[in-house]
Amino acid sequence: MPHIIDAPVDVELSADGDPRAFIWNRFEHTVIGQPQAVFKRTRWWEDKGTPTRIDTELWRLDASRGDEEQHRYDLRRGTDGSWVLALDWG
Amino acid sequence: MTSAPGTDFAHLHVASAYSTHYGVTLPEALAEQAAAQGASFLAVTDRDGLYGAVKHMRACVAAGIRAGLGAELAVHDQEYRSLGRVVVLAHGNTEGRGYGALCRAVSAAHGGAAHGGAGQRSAITTGSTGPSISRDRLADLAGLASLTVLLGPDSDVGLAISRRDNTDAAARLAHWQRALPAQSVVLEIVCHLAESGTVGSVTPATRMLALAENAGLPAVLSNAVRYGTPEEAVTADLADAARFLLPLAELETPQTNGQAWLKPAGAMRQVARMVVDAGLHDTGALERLLRDTEQLADRCSLDPTLDIGLGRPRMPEARIIGVTGDPVTELWRRAKSGIADLYSMSGSRAVEAAHAQLAHEMKTVEHLGFASYFLTVSRVADIIRGMGIRIQARGSGVGSVLNYALRTSSVEPIANGLLWERFLSPERQTLPDIDIDVESARRHDIYREVFRAFGSDRVSLMSMTNAYRGRGAVRDAGLALGLPDAQINVIAKQMWRFNARDFRRALEEKPELEALATEVRESQQLDLLVDLTAKLDRLPRHISVHPCGVILSDASLLDRTPVQASGMGLPMSQYDKHDMDPMGLIKLDILGVRMQSAMAHAVEEHHRLTGESIDLDRVPLDDPKTFELIRSTRTLGIFQIESPGQMELVGKLQPEVFNDLTVEISLFRPGPMKNNMPLKYLQARHGEVAPDYIHPRFELILRETNGVVIFHEQVMRLFDELTGCGLGKADVFRRHLGKPEQLPEIEEYVRERALARGFSAAVIDQVWTVLAGFGSFGFAKAHGAAFALPTYQSAWLKTHYPAAFLAGLLTHDPGMWPKDLIVAEARVLGVPVLPLDVQSSALDYRVEDLADGSQGIRLALPELVGSTETERARIAQHQPFGSLQDFRDRVHPRRRTFEALARVGALDTFIGYDRSRRHELLAHIQSLRGTAVVIRADQLAFEVELPVPRYSGDRAGAITSLELRGRTQTDLELLDLNLAVSTHQMKRFHALFKELGVTPASELGNLPGGTEVLLAGVRRATNTPPMRGGRRVVFISLDDGTGPVSNVVFFHDAQERVGGQVFQTNYMLVRGRTRRSGARGVSVTGENIWNLFDVARQVKERHAVERAAAEEAASAAAYAAELAVQTQVSTTHFSEVPGGILHHLRAAESA
Repeated sequence: MPHIIDAPVDVELSADGDPRAFIWNRFEHTVIGQPQAVFKRTRWWEDKGTPTRIDTELWRLDASRGDEEQHRYDLRRGTDGSWVLALDWG
Repeated sequence: MTSAPGTDFAHLHVASAYSTHYGVTLPEALAEQAAAQGASFLAVTDRDGLYGAVKHMRACVAAGIRAGLGAELAVHDQEYRSLGRVVVLAHGNTEGRGYGALCRAVSAAHGGAAHGGAGQRSAITTGSTGPSISRDRLADLAGLASLTVLLGPDSDVGLAISRRDNTDAAARLAHWQRALPAQSVVLEIVCHLAESGTVGSVTPATRMLALAENAGLPAVLSNAVRYGTPEEAVTADLADAARFLLPLAELETPQTNGQAWLKPAGAMRQVARMVVDAGLHDTGALERLLRDTEQLADRCSLDPTLDIGLGRPRMPEARIIGVTGDPVTELWRRAKSGIADLYSMSGSRAVEAAHAQLAHEMKTVEHLGFASYFLTVSRVADIIRGMGIRIQARGSGVGSVLNYALRTSSVEPIANGLLWERFLSPERQTLPDIDIDVESARRHDIYREVFRAFGSDRVSLMSMTNAYRGRGAVRDAGLALGLPDAQINVIAKQMWRFNARDFRRALEEKPELEALATEVRESQQLDLLVDLTAKLDRLPRHISVHPCGVILSDASLLDRTPVQASGMGLPMSQYDKHDMDPMGLIKLDILGVRMQSAMAHAVEEHHRLTGESIDLDRVPLDDPKTFELIRSTRTLGIFQIESPGQMELVGKLQPEVFNDLTVEISLFRPGPMKNNMPLKYLQARHGEVAPDYIHPRFELILRETNGVVIFHEQVMRLFDELTGCGLGKADVFRRHLGKPEQLPEIEEYVRERALARGFSAAVIDQVWTVLAGFGSFGFAKAHGAAFALPTYQSAWLKTHYPAAFLAGLLTHDPGMWPKDLIVAEARVLGVPVLPLDVQSSALDYRVEDLADGSQGIRLALPELVGSTETERARIAQHQPFGSLQDFRDRVHPRRRTFEALARVGALDTFIGYDRSRRHELLAHIQSLRGTAVVIRADQLAFEVELPVPRYSGDRAGAITSLELRGRTQTDLELLDLNLAVSTHQMKRFHALFKELGVTPASELGNLPGGTEVLLAGVRRATNTPPMRGGRRVVFISLDDGTGPVSNVVFFHDAQERVGGQVFQTNYMLVRGRTRRSGARGVSVTGENIWNLFDVARQVKERHAVERAAAEEAASAAAYAAELAVQTQVSTTHFSEVPGGILHHLRAAESA
């Protein structure tokens, strides 16, 4: 079962623009392998205001803290470029 | 050509905004964005066509990147089964072979209109009604390495992959490989990073890549782009809603997410990595994918000149225009012989001048290589004339002696002071443009004949792109949000006089939108609607056939433009007028003008009745009676000068010669009006101010307009006189006057040269002020003169053959006025309009010679409301009729038509034209019973027993119909014809008008200026012409049945007082003050408006009150007299007097 985290995190990007690491609870989590981006569309017409995007950006990636066992995480990037650690899939 | 690695990615599959209701970014924006992102190549592949192709090519040239072209097309197999949609890309460096194949593939998808099968679809696709090309045809066209076909997610292969049916996908791919030439099939990998299990996720993309590897085929990465930036994904959602005509919430297949944007190289590499990483692929798969993409882009880079032929004009081949030798020699020969013919009557000096001018023009023509162009246009003019159709050239081409000599134009340019250089000069960068006005009723016949004469592989109609405007945008945005229709309608009605892009600002600023602004503030949905409407504004919405553009070219035409069937069946290019010049396509505007049809009808009618032929083009242009009519301002029905504003200007100007008409027409334009030119000109013309020629050397140029600069030609001559730059260069300066940033440079040049040429600084100051103020205003005199000719011709016809002319007007309805008013004008001119009669009414208005030697106009059958074309055709075919039964047997009218004919009196012939018996006839027809039967031409009629009863003898026992009771002939005519011909509908008000002291329109001209008047009538026209100062002025033309119309003008203050009535009330009483305009013209400045029906009711009520009061007064007086007698007898009875008496007395007193 995934844990809902929903915490803002700092994300370090590679030269290619992929997340390479993120810092959560002061610990750096290093991304392992090719992270996958997923864009999910919204029903924006039901919300207030005119959107600048019609989808939300999620990155599903495997990462580990130091030598610990790797977990699968979902990171969400806002339109302002800020990152939120959404889910820990375990 | 490639830029630094990592920043260059070639997008091969991109829909521009010209993929209507799909792509949402204009080609120019896409090319700029691609270049800014570091790309060196961009393809545009619009859906079902090359709609944005030319704009894309030019944008890429401007942005300095290479361009590719393709189209996203549906494909079907031999059994017409759908093979999905593929992208067809043209190969470059093939000397146009690739682009030509692409054009023909698009045309083939649209049903092969290219093969002369006008409007016939050669392909019927399953489950789709849109364009589709057969795979076999596509394979033919892809031969000689001309095309690459991209099989992506929407192809049958991609669809099999998304069904996870890899075996089927491989089989289908193998089929494609067998069908198409080697190396023309490439797989297209698209991944929009959608959620797993949905369209656009990595899974099908990585499987597609594996399929390519297994088949040994190249695969390319694309992003199936629909918009430039992620922000525009919202607009694409709206486009989807508009395409499926469904609210967003109900779309079955909305776009999966907002990733179909023109991603830069880094983002595309990211996608590529994820696709490769998601499956098991050979080593180097990532680099190979990107390399194959780049290589295909290299192969599809089109050279704008060598591949597309950009900027290279192509005229029809010499033999097609009937030339065997050198076109230049032939053009010389024809032009010289034309001059000999046309100028022979004008004296040797005129002939000499014409030859000199011809030599001057031919130099430019030879220099620019346009000889074939002139021969082509004159060939078209000959074709039209050969069909017996009236033709009139318009536009700057009228300034050419060459065009006049070739009889393309019928206005003599030299005496009219027109300039060749306004039309063509070595300094002009664009292809020449000649517009031809023809009879509107024959326009389609002309198109067909031109297609026949030139061959359908050389001719195509032109299309036009219709863009979203306010109302359409708000409707489609409202649809997307699922707003109720009624609500959208209310909002849409308010969307005018501002751009939808500025919707929000308009809400803040415009007081009339206050209520809507409040609603928007309170509703989240409406707030959204405002933004979405602005997003749609100006986007291409659909294409349709241009009203007059015909493209003429050589046999390569269909290799240079894709065509599709137009509404009228003939092939239409997917390119619009902006694409013509860059593509070197010669466009001829053949515009249908109703006045030309009306005049042709008048000439025909005259010929039919008298056997005399009138050659309108040879009518002397100085007929005094014609000018007298024009000066009288009774110009209703005359071309160009019949509007109230024109009537007023004609009245003030008092034209005396043909050139005055040219001036008048040129003055009545938005530019000159805003610049106050009419007033300046009139003051100088009537000697109120002395003409100011600034300098004697300008007098020759400005004399014809009394010192006021009106024409483009004058501006050109001034430039030439000031600087000696030559007229060609002068025209360049003239066009630049409208661009403020160019002014300082021109001014410097003018000042320097003018000083050197002996003009004083003061003169230069003065003339420069005039030139700079002229801006882009004014009018080409060539246009004005070309308009003035039909103006004069129609005035001449009205003067000399009013019946025939009015019959033409009534048949073709060319002007601004409703037919009622033309009928009223006929009445005033002593030409009766004769009632509808099945014995003599034809399909058009015919002139009839009357017993008293005068002429009348017989009402035409099409005026009968609700009658069908086949019924009318049968009446016209079989008339005259011996009896009612004969009529019924041969015409078989439907019940509705039969009764309407009887009601309105068209069958009165069968009752001896005894109107009082019409009710019997109608009752008889109504009493007929029978079953509906199908007769010739699929016409329903009813089979009945006739003989017609004998309407004689016992009138009391005769049957009757109540339908006619209490109705006047006018009522019946308005009911069944929408047109009152027997008497004027205002006649019933005439007693009221007399009582109120209303001035009849016919008397208005006799009043001095400043007289307070009451006017009344039915509104016939409302005009809001452009006015100096920008304040709206409303002209209302009232028809009271006595004269043509009285024109009332409401200025701003009166509009405020009167409010909405100025637009809403149709039957009105107006108070105003007369204003003289010239010797004969008069108009009225309106002060107030009342609804005529209200006034009539009030008067009636007052009459009733007065009548009652008068009666009471009379009876009271009687009582009083009686009382007087009684009091003499005895005063004691006073108390017994009924209480009413006092009341009566008071009433009598007040009365």
